[in-house]
Amino acid sequence: MEIKHTAIAGTLESSDIQIMLSKVEGATEIELESAVEKQFGAQIRTLMQTILDQYGITNVKIKAVDKGALDCTIKARLITVIQRATDKENDPDWEVLG
Amino acid sequence: MDYSQQTRQLNLKETHYYQQWVTLLTQEGIEGLPQTVNDVEACFGIFEGQQLIATGAYQKNVLKYIAVDHHYQDGKLFNAIISTLISALAQKGIFHIFVFTKPKYRQSFEFVGFNLLAETDVAILLETGDVSLQQFIAQVPRPRVQKQTQAAISAIVMNANPFTLGHRYLVEQAAKASDFVYVFVVSQDVSLFTTAERFKLVQQGVADLTNVVVVPTSDYMVSYATFPAYFLPESQDVIGYQTALDAQLFKKIAAQLNIQYRFLGEEPFSKTTALYNQALATNLPPEVTVKVIPRRQAADQVISATRVRQAVQAGMIETVQNFVPDTTYQFIKQNQASLQARIQKGMQVDGN
Repeated sequence: MEIKHTAIAGTLESSDIQIMLSKVEGATEIELESAVEKQFGAQIRTLMQTILDQYGITNVKIKAVDKGALDCTIKARLITVIQRATDKENDPDWEVLG
Repeated sequence: MDYSQQTRQLNLKETHYYQQWVTLLTQEGIEGLPQTVNDVEACFGIFEGQQLIATGAYQKNVLKYIAVDHHYQDGKLFNAIISTLISALAQKGIFHIFVFTKPKYRQSFEFVGFNLLAETDVAILLETGDVSLQQFIAQVPRPRVQKQTQAAISAIVMNANPFTLGHRYLVEQAAKASDFVYVFVVSQDVSLFTTAERFKLVQQGVADLTNVVVVPTSDYMVSYATFPAYFLPESQDVIGYQTALDAQLFKKIAAQLNIQYRFLGEEPFSKTTALYNQALATNLPPEVTVKVIPRRQAADQVISATRVRQAVQAGMIETVQNFVPDTTYQFIKQNQASLQARIQKGMQVDGN
């Protein structure tokens, strides 16, 4: 799927994550700012990459500011921002969600 | 966030809100607040009961007037107010955001994803979002010279509103003295001639100079983010620290593009530009050498873009025909009506 424009989802409040998705030339970039980078940085990146792969999204930059979000929150925020960035808010990809 | 706390948009035209806002900002050490707030597009506040405990505002893509009551400062309110501002800007399609603040707040902003662009003793500039300084620098064309490290590379930054023979003279001088010249055209779209028009006229005006490349500044030089006082009336102090930051940021860009010289046109008219030139001369060396070129005269008159705009306003463009290259002259002639309409709608002619 193709990113049509930059989009954002989530907040900077405790237990949440704010994710911005934008189009770039070249390989996928994940820029993560997290208080738990040392403990969970790798796990968060892997989770994000898995979801991007499910949607078939490449050439994308993720800028994420994590405030201690659980995996389910990260997944929900990332799916939301993908739908916004691909103009699919009203037409979700049910196969990925399932 | 606490359920007793509520985030609301603040209308600073209402005395009740304005007073609470001033009280909070003053208490947190932000001085020189305006009597009527004209430099803010939207302002938000977090209330506990009736009391304002955190606030933040934006204008275009710049965050400003951010303060949190120090009795509550555990970071939560700060994150909440920044989050509110980022979401509000995202709804307007603005994702590349700057903030101009005191050095002591650096870490607070870095914790919410901002990156430092420039710093002086009194102020710092940070950015966040879908574009970054590194991406900007990466897309600037590199010179096709044999040995980049030995080549003399120069830069000029101009608004060119519009491009005159004075600008042309400055570029020619730089082109003669250097192997390669970057002409950065200011991207902020607040001048009589639009950004696209100014850019095109510069490109046409220097088309014959083979060692010159014209590049947009994006938000990184002389913009609302780096140097708002260029476009808005401001006190000398404010101009002083903004120009110092703009100069620091330029140095950072210059280092990566191998720029050793910055050419400036001597400034006899605009006080702001004169102060800017002075700040560059103080801040850029030793890494970047500043070269000031005296203004060129046409028939004993100093060429200036301000005079050209005044002539457009007066409908007497023939009087400045010898101030501008033919490309600029033809453009003005063909678009005189629409330029005059912009002036009538309130576009300033005398500023920058």
